[in-house]
Amino acid sequence: MRSNAYTLIFTSITTVLLGFLLSFVSESLKETQRINEEIDIMKNILYSLEFTEKDGPWSGEEVKKIFDSSVIQKVVSADGEVIEDLIPSEIRADKMETQFPLYVKVVNNSVDGYAIPISGKGLWSTLYGYFALENDGSTVKGIRFYKHKETPGLGGEVEKDWFTNNFVGKKIVDKNGSLVSIQSIKGQVDTSSPDAYHQVDGISGATMTTKGLNEFLMNDLKKYDSFFQKIRVESKG
Amino acid sequence: MKLFDSKSKQALKDPLMQDNPITFQVLGICSALAVTVKMDTAIVMSFAVVFVLTMSNTVVSIFRNMIPSRVRIIFSLLVISSLVTLTDQYLKAYMYDMSKELNVFLALIITNCIVLGRAEAFAMKEGPWRSFLDGLGNALGYGIILVAVAAFRELFGSGSLMGFQIISDSMYTSGYQNNGLMVLSPGAFIILGLIIWVQRTIGKIEEE
Repeated sequence: MRSNAYTLIFTSITTVLLGFLLSFVSESLKETQRINEEIDIMKNILYSLEFTEKDGPWSGEEVKKIFDSSVIQKVVSADGEVIEDLIPSEIRADKMETQFPLYVKVVNNSVDGYAIPISGKGLWSTLYGYFALENDGSTVKGIRFYKHKETPGLGGEVEKDWFTNNFVGKKIVDKNGSLVSIQSIKGQVDTSSPDAYHQVDGISGATMTTKGLNEFLMNDLKKYDSFFQKIRVESKG
Repeated sequence: MKLFDSKSKQALKDPLMQDNPITFQVLGICSALAVTVKMDTAIVMSFAVVFVLTMSNTVVSIFRNMIPSRVRIIFSLLVISSLVTLTDQYLKAYMYDMSKELNVFLALIITNCIVLGRAEAFAMKEGPWRSFLDGLGNALGYGIILVAVAAFRELFGSGSLMGFQIISDSMYTSGYQNNGLMVLSPGAFIILGLIIWVQRTIGKIEEE
């Protein structure tokens, strides 16, 4: 049996040494990791805005190039005003409830769509994604989830094309222009139903995930409603 | 001393087949279920375990005569968790998409019984070179099963291997369907059970 002093010294030295090693590695890789995260976010915004990878997967630089050249980052306030000189990454933590990021797709100098971040609880986890509208402010352009821990094969199907493709072309407002969001319903959408314009096929076996999705999509769209109302008025007039 | 005497060979070779950590010792099952939906995640996971297990075995073995016996498990865990954190940080920096898919299971290598088990049962007693081989053997044995399970699950669950479509579209249009069970964890259990059955039949291993 070794003495207590030896045990203490031995553990202290190893802890300090390994601690130094880990903090050194973590510090030197930090920058690369931060860039990866940024590129991942950009990539998902691009997917939701219907940019497609033509020649195989994008490299990090390509993502950045496409994003910088055709997406404008903006911040809108709760009453629908664009806040000048502010980009999403600069929103202060205490202003998260009143200032919202907005990503505008620009093609040949004209607006081609808007993407907003969406997130909320499903069954097991918080789902994160982006939701994009056409430039009329009412038609869905795309939806994309990049982070969730729902059951693969059931709730996890939210990220699959068969599910997200159903959103494209649906409307988030009714005839009177008030927000109805998109509802994913049980089973298949009856195309003759008067509500079919804002309904999508649900996922069987994933009632709680789709219910959560319906709720948080509505909540997130509410935040931007005054902004998109203005867009809708402009695009009609 | 010969580099590969019979005991070193045994340390490397046994865990590959007849003393395989997953199918025979039945350790590390949880990650074997979690990361085997697709082959590429299984392969990266196997490499991570190879790195962690060989390194931890070697390090523990080098210090085995200096480690106070009262804190030896804490010391092993310290080494293992540091190695896992290093791997995790490295993947986050250079294989970001992969680290997102493996997410928590990479960090859970720390609690993988194979790693601590080998440190405690082998590396605390044997020299660094043998411990290195033992770690390598066990990690490869783990990796072989992982990749085999993943190959079955990806082929029958998603119709592809390593992300390449194997089952042609014409098969799907003529009524073939992917087996949804293979994508879920119970599918891995079934495959694993079949592998264990086949292996024990071939190896003529009898239960007491």
